[in-house]
Amino acid sequence: MIAGLGLLVGIVVGLLLQPQVPLWLEPYLPIAVVAALDAVFGALRAFLDGIFDDKVFVISFVSNVLIAALIVYLGDKLGVGGQLSTGVIVVLGIRIFSNVAAIRRHIFHA
Amino acid sequence: MSADTDRSTSEDLPPQVHMPLLDYVTATSLDADYAHVAERTAAEARRAEAEQGSQAGDPTSRPAVRPGVAALVVMGVFGVLVTTAAVQTARNAEDTSNGRESLVTQIKARSTQLDARRARIANLRAENESLQNLYLETTSQGRALSSRLERLRVMSGATPVTGPGVQVVVDDAPGAVSDQQRVLDEDLQKLVNALWASGAEAISINGQRLTNLSAIRFAGSAITVNFVSLDRPYTVLAVGNPDTMPARFVDTEHGRDWLDLHEVAHLEFDMTTEQSMRLPAAPARRLSLRHVTQEEKP
Repeated sequence: MIAGLGLLVGIVVGLLLQPQVPLWLEPYLPIAVVAALDAVFGALRAFLDGIFDDKVFVISFVSNVLIAALIVYLGDKLGVGGQLSTGVIVVLGIRIFSNVAAIRRHIFHA
Repeated sequence: MSADTDRSTSEDLPPQVHMPLLDYVTATSLDADYAHVAERTAAEARRAEAEQGSQAGDPTSRPAVRPGVAALVVMGVFGVLVTTAAVQTARNAEDTSNGRESLVTQIKARSTQLDARRARIANLRAENESLQNLYLETTSQGRALSSRLERLRVMSGATPVTGPGVQVVVDDAPGAVSDQQRVLDEDLQKLVNALWASGAEAISINGQRLTNLSAIRFAGSAITVNFVSLDRPYTVLAVGNPDTMPARFVDTEHGRDWLDLHEVAHLEFDMTTEQSMRLPAAPARRLSLRHVTQEEKP
């Protein structure tokens, strides 16, 4: 409801403004999106579990995005950016899948 | 949690110690903070309830779980993030393919241009030549110049020639074992000099036209002319008067040397007269002048 509205508004704003990403930020954008996706699915699962909390959601979202970008940045500086990105994607991917599985159980009661 | 079964044996250890990594990641996929905060809120609510006495109020006392303005803002940020990433990726892909296409177009345009210019060069050269001939034909002086030019071209090997002459085929002696019985570079030089001396106007060896810059010499085990290696047997074509050349050949010193080589060392030597032969032009790099310039006529 209110979260879906926020998502819709965000997408519309993004499409209308089409912000130009600075070149140095470009490599970290995809990994930040995956991290944000993890936070969002985690929040959805918490909501369905009945333990959702605004503050926790905001903090987990921001810290997920920042830490993912930071890990890739550090990896780039150390020359292992590709491997670290893969590691981050794998862990976040597993989390997203298991969260989605829990959400599915809630919705279809299966 | 699936770790609950292990709790009895390893109560005091944190789950990441006794769980496999993948299991741990799956089990803790939901941020533990949600559970912590929910627990704390519930405890506070219980405490408040206990202080107020167990009177009216929500018996379930669930904390509010409706997402608020903060969630709305964060979801908005998430939407912007996703859209920006998608737009950026699409834009980059477009740029890459545009760049490649424009390069391909440029290459095609330039190579078409190059072909056109090459064709134009050929046209201009032909036009130049015909205009030069036309100009020379207009005056008697020009005609004389033209025929002189033609003669010089024949002598310098700049143009292919046809005409009668003699054909000389020479080869090593059958079953040759020593250099005495083989055709050496100096033998060919002698042969060519004897032919020049007996009135040849143009000479080629195995299709290599001789000019005043052509060298006949050994390079490794083969004789090279105009820097091209020749194979045995050596066919020497000399354009000239076929009636007088064989006789004059025998009169020259080198001609006699060759007859001796034929008699003593048994080198193959076969001279025949031909009514029509065609000799190719020399390669262009054998005709370039490096130092000489034409003297001004007084």
